[in-house]
Amino acid sequence: MALLPVITGLGFITSIGNDRATVLRSLRELRHGFAPFDFLGNPQVPIKVAGTIKDFAFPSLNSRDWRWPVGYAIERETLRSLAPHGLYALCALEQALADAGLARADLTAGSTGLFCASAGSPLLLTNHINQMHATRGMRGDPMGIVSSIAGTLNFNLAAHYKIAGAVCGFVSACASSSHALGYAMDEIRLGRQSRMLVVGAEDMNAESILPFASLRALSTNPDPATASRPFDGRRDGFVGTGGAVALIIEDAALARRRGARIYAELIGWGQAGDGHSVAISHPEGAGLREGMRRALADGHVNPADIDYVNAHATSTTAGDRSEAIALQATFTAGGATPRVSSTKALTGHGLSLAGAMEAAFSALAIAEKFIPGAAHLEEPDPICAGLDLPRTSLDEAPRLVLNNSSGFGGSNVCHVLRSVS
Amino acid sequence: MEPSPSLSSANPAPPANPEDRIRHLPETAQAAFRKFRALGDVTALDPLIFAILENYAPRKPTQPLADVPGSTLLMDTLGFDSLAITEIVFFTEELFEITIANEELIRVRTLDDLRGFIQRKVRDRPSA
Repeated sequence: MALLPVITGLGFITSIGNDRATVLRSLRELRHGFAPFDFLGNPQVPIKVAGTIKDFAFPSLNSRDWRWPVGYAIERETLRSLAPHGLYALCALEQALADAGLARADLTAGSTGLFCASAGSPLLLTNHINQMHATRGMRGDPMGIVSSIAGTLNFNLAAHYKIAGAVCGFVSACASSSHALGYAMDEIRLGRQSRMLVVGAEDMNAESILPFASLRALSTNPDPATASRPFDGRRDGFVGTGGAVALIIEDAALARRRGARIYAELIGWGQAGDGHSVAISHPEGAGLREGMRRALADGHVNPADIDYVNAHATSTTAGDRSEAIALQATFTAGGATPRVSSTKALTGHGLSLAGAMEAAFSALAIAEKFIPGAAHLEEPDPICAGLDLPRTSLDEAPRLVLNNSSGFGGSNVCHVLRSVS
Repeated sequence: MEPSPSLSSANPAPPANPEDRIRHLPETAQAAFRKFRALGDVTALDPLIFAILENYAPRKPTQPLADVPGSTLLMDTLGFDSLAITEIVFFTEELFEITIANEELIRVRTLDDLRGFIQRKVRDRPSA
């Protein structure tokens, strides 16, 4: 019998909730996680809104000043080398392990691996390099590198949980954690690992988000209720967010043997490049279309079988347009009409975190038998003609869900999730 | 409106105020530092050195380090690892504006070794 990866645990530190129950309510009731945000204390900055992470505080670079929700006991041995998003990730992973009914001792045998995704911490990296310049290279914080560079998540979490299986970080910008999840599926399917921890996370601060304003990719809409509106004709860019999401992936047989709750099966994934631009999606969504085709083929399902698509759509003019065209080519042209929504309307765009976050939302939708609505959508862009974009969340149980992600350089990654057979 | 948590974006970073560096340490340690700065007496630094060690201990010590025998091994007995030692070195370098070379650390194995080492480095620094 073929090995089948399934999702047995979820953990959330997101703008729409720091636990599964809150996230579920936000998705069902379309409660967004946005708030006015003061970027660099400069009122001239035209970006006014972010998907803020509640109950965490990072008032200085000294972790002694950091605050996080009660219930997470974190020793200095662990805290000393974490970035802000590392702290988010640790909390999310603790939730996911508890959700899956796993203890730390269950993770150390070598049959559990860890795949992570983040862009690193520009905040801490900037500080470390500034320190180096200030001392003309004479000294620096010993934790400066391991807390800040891309890979900091896997360095820290692998050490903390004593992971002896496969450990790796993935860097493909906004498709990063989707790559982590896809390759984690392969680790299970190839029999290399029986359990994988998948974590996506990002800092939530000016250093991580504001550079995207230089690309004119961020919304300048100051209204938290409308700044993120994927597929709407008046969209003007994405709203940034951070946080962390963790998923526990196991072989179905192992999950069943130990009586774990299974949220959803991961039956296929695919990826394809646009071969087009460093930062702009292909105008016809070519890579995403091929990524969807490959994911559906991997899962042995037809477009008409998909009940819901969690779109990548970030609320940028060009990106949403490309995805709408790709969705029409994949589905509408063949007469298929899955429900489509982008939950970034509620969360904002979590960058490297996005793919894992939305895979987790998709798993929740399957397990809790609902479809998240297309929040903040009032006047759909005419390019979306033919797409079924429900304005409210629906009490419909999706059996098959497609989760899309796209990143810089035209990296497109798609997963197919299925309700438990 | 949430304030941006970033404090570090000026390039180059301005030198931190020594008082700001020790604000997380117990009042007795802060007082010891001020007394040292006023009088230049390195023997006054003990409470500060113990506080720095406790601050960077990977796991919270089961008893105050001031109550632990000076011959106690930092790594084998107290659970310090090399990363924690490098953090202590960095903090001490920044606080006292001294430079510590890797070779100087090789002989530092016990609490007393470290106390004596820091006292010597601070006493012998060019500006002291």
